[in-house]
Amino acid sequence: MADLPPVAENIYVPSKDGFELVGAYCDHCEKCFFPLREHCSNCLGDTTQTSLGSRGVVYSFTIVRTKPPFALPQPYGVAYIDLAGCPLRVFCLLDPQQLGKIHIGSPVRLWVGPMGVNNAGQPCLRPFFRLLNNPSEQ
Amino acid sequence: MAVIIGTGITAFGPQPDRTIVSLGVEAGLLALQDCAVSHLEVGAGFFANALGARLFGDTTIGQNVFAELGITRVPVINTENACTSGSTAFYLALQSIAAGQSDVVLVIGAEKMCVPGLGLIDSGNAEIETQLGMVTPASFAMRAKRHMYNYGTTREQLAAVTVKSRRHAALNPLAQFRTPETVDQVLASPRIADPLTRSQCCPIADGAAALVLASDEYAAKFERAIRVDAAVLTSGSYENQGDMTQWETDQRTATQTYEKAGIGPKDIDIVECHDAFTIAEILHYEGLGLCKPGEGGNLVESGETSLGGRIPVNVSGGLLSRGHPVAATGIAQLVELVFQLRNEAGRRQVEDCKTGLAHCMGGDRGGDTKSCTVVVLSR
Repeated sequence: MADLPPVAENIYVPSKDGFELVGAYCDHCEKCFFPLREHCSNCLGDTTQTSLGSRGVVYSFTIVRTKPPFALPQPYGVAYIDLAGCPLRVFCLLDPQQLGKIHIGSPVRLWVGPMGVNNAGQPCLRPFFRLLNNPSEQ
Repeated sequence: MAVIIGTGITAFGPQPDRTIVSLGVEAGLLALQDCAVSHLEVGAGFFANALGARLFGDTTIGQNVFAELGITRVPVINTENACTSGSTAFYLALQSIAAGQSDVVLVIGAEKMCVPGLGLIDSGNAEIETQLGMVTPASFAMRAKRHMYNYGTTREQLAAVTVKSRRHAALNPLAQFRTPETVDQVLASPRIADPLTRSQCCPIADGAAALVLASDEYAAKFERAIRVDAAVLTSGSYENQGDMTQWETDQRTATQTYEKAGIGPKDIDIVECHDAFTIAEILHYEGLGLCKPGEGGNLVESGETSLGGRIPVNVSGGLLSRGHPVAATGIAQLVELVFQLRNEAGRRQVEDCKTGLAHCMGGDRGGDTKSCTVVVLSR
């Protein structure tokens, strides 16, 4: 897994018990953004890179069953996640092994693993959310 | 403001032998013939196409279309604004007339997208969301899931949008899907993104539509002219953590349009809205104020949005059944309203139709739409 590139730079970092999303923070407006951006769209001041944490709750989700882009698994799940560490809703993939177990309101946390290919067609790592109490880890 | 004096529209659906230019020329010629205006009188051309650059490497296609129509030397402007490409071209054409730049302008939207390997529409490969699997049906499927969660909207109510759409399209010879479908058939069609099945997603299509717009002074002699009461173009607010079942951009755009036109939702006799997916039509009922928040599912089930009901929606068949050649759609919606307001819509004519509303939206960004247009026309 370590040999594969991330699907894009600066969207997650390893943490002591897994991974954390990376975003931008505006000190002046106290606003978070994902993905990373250089300027706050509220005050246009400079932002700093910040951790957005690893946990959240599913706001909504779907399972895409048609032919997937980027050689993603078929089917694959995606969701809007309301993050626990900051007032931000992010779009992300779901753990393909847990489709059918994740619902609106499910507590989830970030993970990273090999999934599909990147824009250059190379196998890559993608972030995804899985249940906070991941059955396979118990 | 300005008036519409001519309309042209091609059949929608796969047309493998046609080019973007030939489709655009057909629609443009029909529009000029409809109002018997010479091409030499056209003072500016506005052309919408969304996918030509991506699929065929074609750019500034408008000049190719207008040159074939003998419209040269005058300003020709190409627009790309996702699914609102056509309605944005219309908006710009209107500004041109309002500014006194031209007395007569021709607006054409044309798309050719029925090509092998198109795949699902997304917001572009450079976007992180696209790289994390965002495709347009998924975006609407998630809104559907949340609407069902918040309001108890059912799969059958979603399917009722398609059933109505097919019933309407059976009366429109230019529509792509004209065969009736039952709720059971809609729900049994292949699953695309839960809860949406294939019959709940609009088909891709090749096609074109066109309008001739004129200043009030120029159009005084045209008896079939239809008045443009208001036209509003907005972009998303991208408010993070908003209520995704109540589309703020829809509401904001509709409110501005109603205020400009000096009317409210109760004054509208017919609506053409951007029903790219069944849930979209339900969300737009609520965004346009046709019913209270959360009641869109009940509204379609009640039959009030069917031909003969209180407020018929997408009598043309809409995107779901007429088809969705992206840049032609926003203009095709207006063409349908003109048919209806002129009392020339044949078997699908809405009775006593005096005021119509067209709504279009396009693109995804941060859980919002990038672009939204609402137009009110009247006779």
